[in-house]
Amino acid sequence: MALVALNAVTKTFTKGEETITPLDHVDLDIQAGDFVSLMGPSGTGKSTLLNLVSGIDQPDAGTIAVDGVEVTSLSRSQLADWRAANLGYIFQTHNLIPVLTTYENVELPTLLLRLSASERRQRVELALEAVGLTDRASHYPRQLSGGQEQRVGIARAIVAHPKVVVADEPTGSLDKKTSDQIQILLQRLNRELDITLLMVTHDTEVAGIATRRLVLEDGKIVDGLANPV
Amino acid sequence: MFRYVLKTLWRHRTRTLLTVTGAAVAMFVFCFVGSVQQGLDRLTTGEDADRSLIVFQENRFCPASSRLPVDYANRIMEIEGVAEVVPIQVWTNNCRASLDIVVFNGADPNQIQTNRPITLVDGTWSDFEARRDAALVGRNVAQRRGIKIGDQFSIGEISVKVVGIFQSDVPSEENLIYTSLEFLQFTRGLDATGLVTKHEVLLAGDADPDRVASEIDEALRAGPVATTTRRKGAFQASTLSDLVDLIGFAHWLGYACVGLVLALVATTTVMSVQDRIKEYAVLQTIGVRPLRAMRLVLTESTLLCLLGGLIGTGLALLALGLGGFAIGAEGVTIAFRPSVGLLVSGAIVSLIVGIVSGIAPAIQAATVPIVRELNQP
Repeated sequence: MALVALNAVTKTFTKGEETITPLDHVDLDIQAGDFVSLMGPSGTGKSTLLNLVSGIDQPDAGTIAVDGVEVTSLSRSQLADWRAANLGYIFQTHNLIPVLTTYENVELPTLLLRLSASERRQRVELALEAVGLTDRASHYPRQLSGGQEQRVGIARAIVAHPKVVVADEPTGSLDKKTSDQIQILLQRLNRELDITLLMVTHDTEVAGIATRRLVLEDGKIVDGLANPV
Repeated sequence: MFRYVLKTLWRHRTRTLLTVTGAAVAMFVFCFVGSVQQGLDRLTTGEDADRSLIVFQENRFCPASSRLPVDYANRIMEIEGVAEVVPIQVWTNNCRASLDIVVFNGADPNQIQTNRPITLVDGTWSDFEARRDAALVGRNVAQRRGIKIGDQFSIGEISVKVVGIFQSDVPSEENLIYTSLEFLQFTRGLDATGLVTKHEVLLAGDADPDRVASEIDEALRAGPVATTTRRKGAFQASTLSDLVDLIGFAHWLGYACVGLVLALVATTTVMSVQDRIKEYAVLQTIGVRPLRAMRLVLTESTLLCLLGGLIGTGLALLALGLGGFAIGAEGVTIAFRPSVGLLVSGAIVSLIVGIVSGIAPAIQAATVPIVRELNQP
């Protein structure tokens, strides 16, 4: 059974008198351990698909199941609980909480789970170690570089040991060198920690690090490996 | 998550400080007004107010104009239900409403010791009985005027030697200065030999106060001066009727202060949430429940309000405790005293206002459109 399964998912937006359908009866299966990149021109609905899988947006039709749980049928509170335990979200603009230190930002998702203090500490330390920021634990976001901030964001996304991690343009706001470091990090997370990743990007080079490349065109998903952009 | 709330408040410390200060000032006023209200309530209710009667000259209110024969006490004692009669000569420095009224009550020293609800905290009864011009000063007056044992205290034509400071469970008592009856009767200008201002009647057992009051007035109707007898509480309320209206108005001022705190904390919390609305979207994206987001905002507003409220209440209680404030008219005073009741009501009001002021911004944080806010730059 696929870890993530989208079945005939449709999403439409109304802009003035115009109706846009970025996702039109989309079917998609992602297996556990996959590293999937999703590409496509701006405004094609890549981020919308990510938001639907994350449960922060709702489709107009179709179903989405993650690890057998149909997320489209959950309430807002249930979705929050589900995300806390099963989903990690890497934002393009990091979105760290400015008043919290690196350690506290990473610790945040673990506070939503039933973990002992020592278990929480252990997970946070491991996550920080995985992204190479152990020595920046007490720093505030304003004291970090863009790349370090993104690594904190990645640590925050993986600290709860989610079943799937989604990343929305994770290198979109970074320079080339930092972008390369983040790509390597994402690859390592997938290979070494066996984390299932669904990444949206418009950068073909970044998409190249994924094990499976998909393209979103005219509301439909095309297998990118067979049809490279 | 509590740490997040504290750090958020600390991040905007100027705003936090201003809001807490505003809440503190408003709750200070609220507690001060509350203490006046409590003082009035204590004056008109309770054992002392209900189980004793005041016999005053008919149609007179100011102590300076009421003159009753001392020997009325013997005729009052004959009435069934009367346990004790205390003839009292009153002298006050101001018959009109004043915040620094000084009221002397002259009575028999033995009756003062046995019948008045007072306890000496400094000085001795024997010193009071030994000197003709000896005076026992209520704690409130002593605090307000800085009077100590051994001081010679003079006001108007009266000059007394302070031989004792007393406290009382009846706060208005602490605004009085007791002297012997003879001393006050012979004070220059009073010319009150054989006369007193009023008789205070202590009721026996379950005697009906209204019946006894009627019988006293009836019995004294044929005497040289007609009387009006009322329960002490009713007498004091009637004497202070103008102030009672004012205090009733001030009561609304107290509520206005609560409204002010509500508006202030609500505004601050709304601003705080709107500034960080994207943060709430991020928090919910990583798994914070909407209700938990609500709780975070409510905690923030409640902390602001409780902190300000407790500081304001604490300062008000401190000022009330140290200041010995009182307001009075025509020889009757209302004491502003700190009380546990004020502390509790200040804390509860702050808590409730804190929660209520956070409801609207909490709903805003809980129902934030996540995707729209995440797309904001």
